[in-house]
Amino acid sequence: MSSFGTGILSGTKHLVVAALVASGLGLLVFGPRAGDKLPKNCVIVDYWEKWTGDEETGMRQIVDDFNSTVGNEKHIYVRYLSTSAIEQKTLVSIAAGVPPDVAGLYNQNIPQFSALDSLEPLDDLAAEHGITAKTYKKVFWDECHYDSHLYGLVSTAFDLALYYNKEIFRRCAPELESRGLDPQHAPRTIAELDAYAKALDRIDPSGQIVLAGYLPTEPGWFINYTCIWFGGSWWNGARQKFTFTDPGVVRAYQWIQSYSRRLGPKAVAEFQSGFGTIDSPQNPFLAPTVAMVQQGTFFAHLINHLKPSMDGQWGAAPFPSYDPKLRDVTYCNCDVLVIPRGAKHKSEAFEFIAFVNRQDEMEKLANYHCKISPLAKVSEGFLAHHNNPYIRVFDNLAASPNAHPTELVPILPEVNDELINFIQRLQLQQVTPEEGLRQVQTRLQQKYDQFMEDQRERRR
Amino acid sequence: MRGLVFLSPWLIGFFAFTLVPIALSLYYSFCDYSLLQPPLFKGLNNYRLLAQDPVFWKVVLNTAIYALMALPLGMIVALGVAMLLNLKIRGLSIYRTIIFLPSLVPAVASAMLWLWLFNTKLGLINTALRGVGVANPPGWLTDVHWAMPALVLMSVWGIGNTVIIYLAGLQDVPRELYEAANIDGATTLRKIWHVTLPLISPVIFFNLIMGIIGTLQVFAVPYIMTSGGPARSTYFYTMYLYDNAFNYLKMGYASAMAWIQLLIVLALTALAAWSGKRWVHYQGN
Repeated sequence: MSSFGTGILSGTKHLVVAALVASGLGLLVFGPRAGDKLPKNCVIVDYWEKWTGDEETGMRQIVDDFNSTVGNEKHIYVRYLSTSAIEQKTLVSIAAGVPPDVAGLYNQNIPQFSALDSLEPLDDLAAEHGITAKTYKKVFWDECHYDSHLYGLVSTAFDLALYYNKEIFRRCAPELESRGLDPQHAPRTIAELDAYAKALDRIDPSGQIVLAGYLPTEPGWFINYTCIWFGGSWWNGARQKFTFTDPGVVRAYQWIQSYSRRLGPKAVAEFQSGFGTIDSPQNPFLAPTVAMVQQGTFFAHLINHLKPSMDGQWGAAPFPSYDPKLRDVTYCNCDVLVIPRGAKHKSEAFEFIAFVNRQDEMEKLANYHCKISPLAKVSEGFLAHHNNPYIRVFDNLAASPNAHPTELVPILPEVNDELINFIQRLQLQQVTPEEGLRQVQTRLQQKYDQFMEDQRERRR
Repeated sequence: MRGLVFLSPWLIGFFAFTLVPIALSLYYSFCDYSLLQPPLFKGLNNYRLLAQDPVFWKVVLNTAIYALMALPLGMIVALGVAMLLNLKIRGLSIYRTIIFLPSLVPAVASAMLWLWLFNTKLGLINTALRGVGVANPPGWLTDVHWAMPALVLMSVWGIGNTVIIYLAGLQDVPRELYEAANIDGATTLRKIWHVTLPLISPVIFFNLIMGIIGTLQVFAVPYIMTSGGPARSTYFYTMYLYDNAFNYLKMGYASAMAWIQLLIVLALTALAAWSGKRWVHYQGN
């Protein structure tokens, strides 16, 4: 190579090295810094939570409230960390012996984690803080227990109702009235819901669904609990037996299958493939391509945020039941704060959990998340100024004796997956509800019995 | 001694991160183990339960069908593309880059892309099919009969690595052999059958082994695209293994599945190696 070429190469090399050094220095000087400046002489409580976006903002506000009040007095500082895959990370951290002091899990994790001895029971700590069954709506107190012990307390809670599009009802008033249905009200029984759905369905000449009155699988997140509106239950906790062949459960799945049979499995699949996600304006209720959906309290926030033009054009009512005498049935779900086994600062962690469960803080957080309060006492101000205009409907449902919690089964992830597969087979008309439920019953009972036998063997 | 000290960083890493975990996983396969409680020795219970588990047999069948479809298709298409890329034409480097680019796309990103391509209502594939007169295009990922073929088709998109390896093998074939074949009046097909394939047979063998291992371990793409549905028609072995380990917290059961998978892969590799004695020709032999 010529001396000129060598010179250029050497110059380029020096330039690259200089650029790298400058970038490194720049990062050191101007680059990102560690988050919280931790206060001295405080117990640091590590709190891992799944939330991001607006939900994270809400919870961070509560954390700040704690740190500036109770935390300040008692020298406790809560360090919030937002993390994805919260269940797997909590699991691995517990196994490794380095768990956070507080983890924000889902209520369905309580039976699974506590059956495997990975959560601290909170009965004594709760009693010390005056937290009892009377503090909560019964359904949420039940959600936090497994095997008669308290393993978590609620952070946010919601329940389910029927959201309906009043504008579509008005537009289709003649069809509804011709079938003896009231366009001013939501359906009050399952039979009425089916009648409304049929009246509102719009199919184009090629057989494609343009508008669906209702689809049990949209969104289908809570479809595993459909049986409660049919007076059934698939779990008998007292006998520790699955009851998938319960007549109410069979009726529920017959009803679910009837929709895909009526509309056609391929047509339904194609129709649903065009839906956007829940948090997009192409959400089928917002688009609108579905007139009625079963959803949680928080759904109002998405309507207000993504389609404010729908203000006043939608309503929420108790989801109808099969038997008209079965009233105010709902499924309740919540996020929970737990103390993992091996946490270093249990009593300090519980100070924070108890703080979140104070009425004022709980209502503040519930407002941020557009959810209900799980507490027995709810202030009039919370109900009057809530972002969900139908909050009283949801609150009354959660306080109803027919409010249903998540089933406390330690193999719940397997139950959920089996039921998802079963529902897909139902939709595709591959199996009858009776036969499919018998298969699910046999398989899951075997798994549950094996799990319990292994646990008994450990305790011998 | 000095040699051992020199090797010690690698040895420590090998023991700590490979050998010990493998040995532990073998032990756990005989235990009930959730990661959260100490392992409880149960003998062959996990293996017995697997034999009776209908979902286990379903995922074995699904994985076998996927491998039987994706592996030959991938190898044939990759070889065909490599042969085309071995021709002396203008813009060859551009074509090679285009063929290789999809294999650089991360699995999650390509899964999201293909999710949209296969969308029944709005996807480009069905829009194109309707455009050419197919009134009722397949449901793809929402149809039990088409979900598996959809994943197989998608796997062909990422053949870039295989093509590069074939290309290297093709470029190693001596030109004189083709010239000699030309002189003897061989057609293109005869040249491929009697010259190209035998001489690149070691490369084919390598790709076959890698393909067997890859197709039997398929996980990320179907996990994101279909989650095993519809109705477990695309539920593969490694997905069920993952669910048992990290969702159901049955590490022992998952470990047993992992060891069975290893034995299956070893058996198929041994079968391929045994059959290779008949059709793999190494230069110099």
